[in-house]
Amino acid sequence: MAIVEFKDVSRVYKNGDHEQRALDHVNLSLEEGKFIVVLGPSGAGKSTLLNLLGGLDSPTTGTILVGGKDISTLTNNELADYRAASVGFVFQSYNLIPTLTVIENVALVKEIAPHPLSSHEMLKAVGLEDHIHNFPSELSGGEQQRVSIARALAKNPQILLCDEPTGALDSETGVMVLKLLLSMARDLGKTIIIVTHNQSIAKMADTIVRVKSGKVVSCEEQAHPLTVEEVEW
Amino acid sequence: MLLKKLFRTLLKYKAQFISMIIMISLGVGVFIGFNMEWYSLEKNTDFIFEQTGFADFRILSEKGFSKGNLESILAIEGVQDATRFLSVNTTVKGDGDVIALTVNENMNVSGLYLVDGEPYDEKSADGIWLSDQYAAKNDVHVGDEMTLTYKMITVTGRVRGLVKASEYLICVPDETQLMPDYSSYGFAYISPAMMKKAIIIDFYTQINVKTDLSKAAFVEAADAALHKTTLVLSKEETLSYAESMGEIEEGKVMGSVLPVLFLAIAILTMVTTMHRITASEKTQIGTLKALGFHDKRIMRHYTCYALIIGLIGSALGIGIGYLLGWYIMNPNGAMGTYIDMPTWNLYVPWFGWVVLVGINVFLTVIGFLSVHKMLEGTAADALRPYTPKRMKHLKIEETKAFKALNFGTKWNLRDCFRHKARSCMTLFGIVGCMVLLVGGLGMVDTMNAFVQSFYEDAINYEMRINLDGESIKNDEAAALAEQYHGDWSAMTSVQLGDKAVGLEIYHVENDRVRFLDEEMNFVALGDEGAYICARIAKEWGVHAGDTLSFSPYGSDEIHTATVAGVTRSMAESIVMTDGYAQALGIDYTINTVYTNETDIAANKHILNVQSKKAIMDSFDSFLELMNVMIFLLVLAAVVLGIVVLYNLGVMSYTERYREMATLKVVGFKDRKIGRLLISQNLWLTVIGILIGLPAGVGVLKYLLDALASEYEMKLVIGPATFLISILLTFGVSLAVGLMVARKNRHIDMVSALKTEE
Repeated sequence: MAIVEFKDVSRVYKNGDHEQRALDHVNLSLEEGKFIVVLGPSGAGKSTLLNLLGGLDSPTTGTILVGGKDISTLTNNELADYRAASVGFVFQSYNLIPTLTVIENVALVKEIAPHPLSSHEMLKAVGLEDHIHNFPSELSGGEQQRVSIARALAKNPQILLCDEPTGALDSETGVMVLKLLLSMARDLGKTIIIVTHNQSIAKMADTIVRVKSGKVVSCEEQAHPLTVEEVEW
Repeated sequence: MLLKKLFRTLLKYKAQFISMIIMISLGVGVFIGFNMEWYSLEKNTDFIFEQTGFADFRILSEKGFSKGNLESILAIEGVQDATRFLSVNTTVKGDGDVIALTVNENMNVSGLYLVDGEPYDEKSADGIWLSDQYAAKNDVHVGDEMTLTYKMITVTGRVRGLVKASEYLICVPDETQLMPDYSSYGFAYISPAMMKKAIIIDFYTQINVKTDLSKAAFVEAADAALHKTTLVLSKEETLSYAESMGEIEEGKVMGSVLPVLFLAIAILTMVTTMHRITASEKTQIGTLKALGFHDKRIMRHYTCYALIIGLIGSALGIGIGYLLGWYIMNPNGAMGTYIDMPTWNLYVPWFGWVVLVGINVFLTVIGFLSVHKMLEGTAADALRPYTPKRMKHLKIEETKAFKALNFGTKWNLRDCFRHKARSCMTLFGIVGCMVLLVGGLGMVDTMNAFVQSFYEDAINYEMRINLDGESIKNDEAAALAEQYHGDWSAMTSVQLGDKAVGLEIYHVENDRVRFLDEEMNFVALGDEGAYICARIAKEWGVHAGDTLSFSPYGSDEIHTATVAGVTRSMAESIVMTDGYAQALGIDYTINTVYTNETDIAANKHILNVQSKKAIMDSFDSFLELMNVMIFLLVLAAVVLGIVVLYNLGVMSYTERYREMATLKVVGFKDRKIGRLLISQNLWLTVIGILIGLPAGVGVLKYLLDALASEYEMKLVIGPATFLISILLTFGVSLAVGLMVARKNRHIDMVSALKTEE
């Protein structure tokens, strides 16, 4: 079943007289429970795609259906509810709240998510049970990214959206984080969408979406995705 | 190219730059304006005292002085000049106004300042030089004829000139009248020649003297020269001098407390803001350094911002200062109805310039130091973005209560501690706003309570009849009091140490006059002792039960009175009953009757009749003077509060932009994020109010202590003052919080989270 459907979606940024078409009549359908990688050079429109899907931005024209619900016409508050309930975000730059401890950073989603998971369990799952009272600044980059994964999953969302999640990490840590991300999301049955320009990550994907100049060039199923260990980094 | 960057950066941070400029200009403006008030008053009064030869001493004798007496005084070594002088209250024929008619032999002492018409002519046989203020109020012009009567004597002349005189700088009939009322009271000078024509003889009750001698030395020399004990009043004991000096003193006190606080808030907020702006420019600073710009050049560039703000702020501040100064001190304002000066020039006090230069140097140094810090180390170090201090665990985090807090509270609490400087500045701004409000409004309360007790309540009569003490006998006066079911008093001056204070002897049986003790409760006078005012009690260190010695002016007699109690009083005075005065053997002349009856029959002994309403009116205009200053201060406090809080609010918003974007992405709604932002502001406001309330009371107490030599006021702050101060401060904080919180709707999640930290 398709959990995400893009129907003729365009996103145009206007800057004075200058028009920039970040997404140009995109049609896309993504299956539930899959690991999807969106590949493309920088400026191709992959982040725009992710932002639209995450409810951070709205399309100029077209319709986006998530779980059958149209999110392209939601108001600001409805979008906030959508973000709180349906999507989890993992960013390249972690975006943790520096003034909250690890556990507090994760627990804060309890204030908004309708069906949150236990923050403790999440942190245990990412292997940070010994650091829950540390501040983000006291952790390494890899550890911070693990906190942000725990935070994203603690909301118990349908979809996990990751924007270059390993971009700021060294390759060893990156592999570790990626492994964790995959195993957790799979265990919980989440749909994962990762935006990256790293071809290696794509080798692990169930579905690879290639984006170029604002258009979806291809959307292919991979019959035999590799495991993390099998991929050459 | 850097210059272009300078202007673009100014534009980028325009909210901060504008608010810094507003703060500096307000701070400088209030400081300069309030200090300009008293300083200009001092300069302008000095000018008229100088121009008209204001006398240093006045020797008084009801019997009058001869030419020989004057020569003896002039012969005293150290006396520069002297004149025989007479001032009597005369009635204007036709409308009953009172004019203090003055004759002066030597205009170099206690002379005139010509405003309009002919210069003073000592040979003129019919010339009247009239107070220009009285003339304006009563539509009298140069050339008009005027007839003045004093008892049976009538003087008719023509107004030759309109003048001002230092002897009548504050032109009131006596000390009970706080404010001049030129519609019914003024002064005029005529020549000795004209007086001679009217009463045939020379008669002068005063010799006014210019000298540098001390009072003690002069009194001794005068006594020796005139071969008798003389009654000498120094200029400090004259109403015009004492009151205008009091006004200056009052201005100094006002100028040295609240405006300084104001300026301090402005500078401190500026320092914080400057530091933050430099911090957020760190990457750019690093880029310039990496490009190869020398540190010196970069520092000069960034130091320029502080200097530009300082200079623009100072320039505007001087403008605001002049405006404030002019508003308080202009001939058509409240001060103009009080003090009758020929010039109303505004002067910035010398220390004002010192402070201005100091502020600009200080701000520049702060700007310099902020950049200097950012430039430390290698170009690579400088390129790294500014990171606020690492989070550290707080002690209170160990407590159960803290753990139970929701995340928003923790977030805000930690944020306050992380950005201590910003939180402290916010707190400081709120406390300052609160202090200014409580202090200012409390001053109004205290003044109103003072007037209410002293005049509305203690004056329990409708009419005050001033008698001619020279002609009426005590039993006649007492009979008059009885006829009108009133009370009477005898007022005179006595010498206490080397100072003249009032001796007020009362006969109160109809409760027309009341007295207040230190707690502002009514106290009934008893025959067992004298009551002294709080100022005398403080100065002489005497309490109830102690004794105090004084002598009637111009005599060697010494009376020693037992102090029965301490009262609060308007004038510095000793109060006693006629019974106690008789027991001490003090001679007195009844000169005032207080009654509730308004129909007072004409009587040759009655000099004039004042209604309570007329007296109250004069206080109202007196209060207006104070209210103008307080109003300005309160207004400035609110503006300052808004600007400081807005500036810090925007700073906090900018610094937490990324965190808020994260919250938004996670799914927090705008309103919830807004509430988080406002709640931090509100906590600080509550704390600020809690500190500001007692601090405001403390400042007011300090002000009253500093003013104690002038007014015996008891600190009174009404509940309305507390309420208004709290509500206003809270309102300002909430309004500013809402303004800032509204901004979070425009957070661009996509770009906020993309930029690498």
